[in-house]
Amino acid sequence: MNNPSILKYATLAAMLLAPGAEVCAKVKAREDTLKKVERTLKEVVVTASENRGVGTSSRIGRSAMNHLQPTSFADLLELLPGNISKDPQMGGVNLITMRETGTVGATGKAVADRDQVTGALGTLFVIDGAPVSTDGNLGSLGAVGDVRGEGRETMNRGVDMRSIATDDIELVEVVRGIPSVEFGNLTSGMVNIKRKRMASPLTARFKVDGYSKLFAAGKGIALADGESVLNIDAGWLDSKVDPRNPLENYKRLNGGVRFTSVKDLPGAVVRYNINGDYAGSFDDSKVDPDLNLNKIDRYESKYNRMGVNTEVALSLLRDRWFTDFKLNAGGSLQVDRVNRQRQVSPQRGSIAPTGMQGGAHDTHFILSEYVADYSNDSRPLQMFLKLKAEGGQTAGDVSHRYLAGGEWSRLRNMGAGEVYDISRPLQSGWSLRPRSYTDIPALHTLSFFAEDKIDWHSRVGTMTAQLGVRVSTIPFLDRRYRLAGRWHVDPRVNLLWNLPAAELAGSPLRIGIGGGWGITTKLPTIDYLYPQKQYIDIVQLNYYSVKNPAELSRVNVMTYVNQGVNYDIRGATCRKSEVRLNAGWRGFAVSLTAFAEKTGSGFRSVQDFASYAYISYSTAGMSSEEILVATDLSQLPGENRQVLRGVRMPSNSSKTDKLGIEFQGSTPRLPWLRTALTVTGAWFRTDYSSTGELYQTVSDVVGSVSVSDRYVGVYADEDGRVNEQLSSNVMFDTQLPELGLIFTASLQSVWYLTTTRKWVSGVPVSYISAADGELHTYDAAVETDPLLRYLERSYNPESFRSYTVPPAMFLNLKVTKTVGKGMQVSMFVNRLFDWQKDYVSNGLLVRRQSKPYFGAETQIRF
Amino acid sequence: MKLSVYAVAAVAAAGMMSCEKDVIEVRQGEVQIALTDVGELPERENGVFTFRNVTSGVSTEFKEGDRILVAQGIYDISYGADVRLENGVVARLKGHRQSVVVDADKVEVELSTFYSIPSDDFIISEIFFAGTTTSTGTSYTGDDYIKLYNNTDHVLYADGLTIFESKLGTTDKLELTPDIMSEAMTVQALYTIPGSGREHPVQPGEYLLIADNGMDHRVTNPNSFDLSHADWEWYDVSTKPSVSDIDSPEVPNLNKVYCYTQTYWMLNNQGVKAYGVARIPVDNETYLKDYLYTYNYTIVTAAGSFPMSQTAYRLPNEWIKDVVNCSNKATYKWQVSAAALDMGFTWCAEIASDKNRFFKSVRRKVVGFNDDGTPVLSDTNNSTVDFNSGVTPSEIEAQGTAMDAAGNKAGVITWDGVLRK
Repeated sequence: MNNPSILKYATLAAMLLAPGAEVCAKVKAREDTLKKVERTLKEVVVTASENRGVGTSSRIGRSAMNHLQPTSFADLLELLPGNISKDPQMGGVNLITMRETGTVGATGKAVADRDQVTGALGTLFVIDGAPVSTDGNLGSLGAVGDVRGEGRETMNRGVDMRSIATDDIELVEVVRGIPSVEFGNLTSGMVNIKRKRMASPLTARFKVDGYSKLFAAGKGIALADGESVLNIDAGWLDSKVDPRNPLENYKRLNGGVRFTSVKDLPGAVVRYNINGDYAGSFDDSKVDPDLNLNKIDRYESKYNRMGVNTEVALSLLRDRWFTDFKLNAGGSLQVDRVNRQRQVSPQRGSIAPTGMQGGAHDTHFILSEYVADYSNDSRPLQMFLKLKAEGGQTAGDVSHRYLAGGEWSRLRNMGAGEVYDISRPLQSGWSLRPRSYTDIPALHTLSFFAEDKIDWHSRVGTMTAQLGVRVSTIPFLDRRYRLAGRWHVDPRVNLLWNLPAAELAGSPLRIGIGGGWGITTKLPTIDYLYPQKQYIDIVQLNYYSVKNPAELSRVNVMTYVNQGVNYDIRGATCRKSEVRLNAGWRGFAVSLTAFAEKTGSGFRSVQDFASYAYISYSTAGMSSEEILVATDLSQLPGENRQVLRGVRMPSNSSKTDKLGIEFQGSTPRLPWLRTALTVTGAWFRTDYSSTGELYQTVSDVVGSVSVSDRYVGVYADEDGRVNEQLSSNVMFDTQLPELGLIFTASLQSVWYLTTTRKWVSGVPVSYISAADGELHTYDAAVETDPLLRYLERSYNPESFRSYTVPPAMFLNLKVTKTVGKGMQVSMFVNRLFDWQKDYVSNGLLVRRQSKPYFGAETQIRF
Repeated sequence: MKLSVYAVAAVAAAGMMSCEKDVIEVRQGEVQIALTDVGELPERENGVFTFRNVTSGVSTEFKEGDRILVAQGIYDISYGADVRLENGVVARLKGHRQSVVVDADKVEVELSTFYSIPSDDFIISEIFFAGTTTSTGTSYTGDDYIKLYNNTDHVLYADGLTIFESKLGTTDKLELTPDIMSEAMTVQALYTIPGSGREHPVQPGEYLLIADNGMDHRVTNPNSFDLSHADWEWYDVSTKPSVSDIDSPEVPNLNKVYCYTQTYWMLNNQGVKAYGVARIPVDNETYLKDYLYTYNYTIVTAAGSFPMSQTAYRLPNEWIKDVVNCSNKATYKWQVSAAALDMGFTWCAEIASDKNRFFKSVRRKVVGFNDDGTPVLSDTNNSTVDFNSGVTPSEIEAQGTAMDAAGNKAGVITWDGVLRK
């Protein structure tokens, strides 16, 4: 390393491209140096490390991943404050939760809440500078309550972490706090993944646990020019949701080629990356036809993502206003397919509405069993381009590091859409129709950002302020949308004051105080902007011929087509603020962060009601001939009627308020025990509820009148739950480098979890009436119709009582042993011991159990 | 070989003997019973108390007047004796009490008794609530039906007769406030046969078939049967295609008084409700207005005790002509009607969600025949005794249609599911 240009390059790159700098340095290093470094015995970091700079984030490095032995990206999250290990859940998409308790039911058990999706949807995943967009996913099964499709849908739900393999990852940075304005279209936070870009021998990994088998291999080839590296990786995962059931499984196939090159030009350094990736994710669930007579029930989903991304970074070695330029460009195509096949057995005779247009039309009875075939073909094609310029100026004690840039993306779904025979729907009560996704316009997003990071070195320490603003819009949007031509403005501020080093017992004490405030915005997805049309089918004539049901029956349905579009939809906005304290002394480190994040405009779908007119025809006393020849239904006696019906519509009425304190502390390695202690944990208080006025139906039937056919109330109650949780993770990490042994024991505890339903009055503020289709204010004095009093929903006071789950503790063990020159053997047991006392709640004894989850793996370097 | 068998037997015997020392002593309790509720007790003959141990299911009979000594435990006690009433009518004096705890050396029990007089109106002869299945084993529910029978010696008129379903389930015991069961039943579906009073005569020994859908169900499910010859059907009007009922033009509809559901009424597929017939002496409007009541109960869960409040219709016991409590054998908890109306239950399912319940019905037992050959059906207001449980439905027998998912046809015709014709 005596070549000054390389040195200069390395320093520059470290400033510019951290954390990738290490990679570049290694590219330049001679091969023998590299090998020597690798042979050196050293301790490794097996935990996530807290960022000491501006902004709150956790970094998880390769060595931590090796020791953790993950199956997918989801397993890494246990290293974040407030999280504990979880068994792989391969039967559904794995969504990220950050700084929140997660949605739970009345007894504290985790439940999926479809109205609380903004957290995961609003977490941006960036892989090697390219955002992973899920906003074009439309692979939703239209069936309600479909056992097999449930939980596997990816529409409006964010990144499925199952589909991200960890073997090609070098470093993960999870931004929990306020991210730089360079990154947008997010609410909760961001996951920045950097993959391996260095020369390395062929490495193969084989992992087995109770649920899965995983095989991965990768190699980094230093190319002959001495300036470029080619990395090739591939992986295969075969897992079962329940190891006893071979009929429900999940498979993943991934592969990638990455080319990295650094060139010294006169007065500049150019770094050029290009990579091509493939990730396939396959869900399969079916019943055994031999065990179920000849019943057919099968769900299959295939997700294939192919992407090409490139990055060009130019660093000028001259002093200019802007010295560093970066261009990211890429495209990705997903080919997602859901195939659903189901044997449907109609009860009595079901009616299949088949009208694609509005208006009255005849349809038919479904009179026999059939096999419904449904396929959903979704092909979101994403293209994106990002340009960024950075520079720095120093004047006296103050130095500026600023950046500015813009980002554009275009997302369009090219899929054939939902394809099925409308007369043979997947389930009775089908209110949708086949549609093609190619009719949906493309979604463009355009953003600009500018940021200045000011460092002021003074007697009272170093003060850093990162001030930035990001503006984003959806260009080319139809004028009817409120968002058309409007810009969301996200100002963000991060501050840090590093106090001057003070002496404490002969060692320097470092203290940093930080804070931040900012707005983050997630723009609506394609489905929120262009939802599926809703069909309202009202039976007007229902004549069943006993003599010849197939030919002499007559059913007439009035169909209304509702576009289901909410033109007022806007981005989900999160207001984040936090304060942070970092301290370090003699290898001890403490970090404490308090935060508040408010999202009052999260996405969810709501019901929108309107009154629909139809004619109720009577066939009493008529012969089938008379009914069938009546080409014009007006020849039949009929009565004009009105009925209320609801359609689903996207809205901004989901609320998530997060409050919490995260803590992390670590000790230096105690020489006599060879052990270091790391404590992480968090207290979270999360409010999951709804905002705004929402329609809710009541199920009362009075006499023979169904109340919800005539009246539906509008309620202003913020219905939801407030959860509170304190959890901690105490990890003892023992390393004996001379034996090549790393042993960790982590004691993971959830000290308590409390959930409380928010109080609701149950009294509507207004109601819609079928008679006129208008909204009326609801007044307790409304005496016009006794049916109206049924709109007052009564709630039991007990249901608002808090429920507390007492402490639960688990002990997880992990061992990694290096055998010989190139082999590493690891194993883990999660929840080898658990301490979960039985507890009494409301006079009832609640018992808790858990099963250990264990596995082992081998890594070989050839 | 024989020797070794003996050896095993000897060892087993030895084992049993040694075990005997470990047997916990079964404590006995003497039960003294006081019969109440009928005023001065009449002269009675053949009085018998039956003690059914709830835990073991073992029944023991004691003659009235004998000393009653039973192992301590929980018992369902029933009583029956022949009596001649003051007016000369021969009846049974019956009593029934559930879950009596015998936990002391001497226990005094009051047994509420009543007279059982043969009904003078329609009785339910069959309930087919479980439905059939398609050839793929999927439950098919459109073909449920109820059969009524004229068990008297004179013409009965079906006009104004109401069939009903209980709101309470026999597998879910609730402590209700108020508890009106001794005066009225809590019901959730009521459908009445139309007519002015003398339009629909039914001769002695004749049946009346009331179907959910009076259609030929073989059209939608080849394993089912034809109900287009039903006398009546219940039809629920709906504008939603997913929950549209079928209105057979050939079969007249019952008048819907009330039904709890927004979709269509079908008999409880698990068979955990009580069904009955009644004659409501007031008009619909009056009934719907005046017979609504609210009852409360508490659900205790770990998340909290939830006082529940429900509103339902009550049907006074004196209007009720016949009630049949249905349940599944394993999870039966209680009667949802007064014991005077029915003190037992019948079933198709052994356990909850028993797949063997399909293609089965409950049919009232034939106890004898009239001179004209029509059967006399058992009617002691005890469905356990009066019904054959889980037998082949009469319509499946008569039509020789499928008895199981595989489509095996019924070949035997019986009077009541057991007694061959």
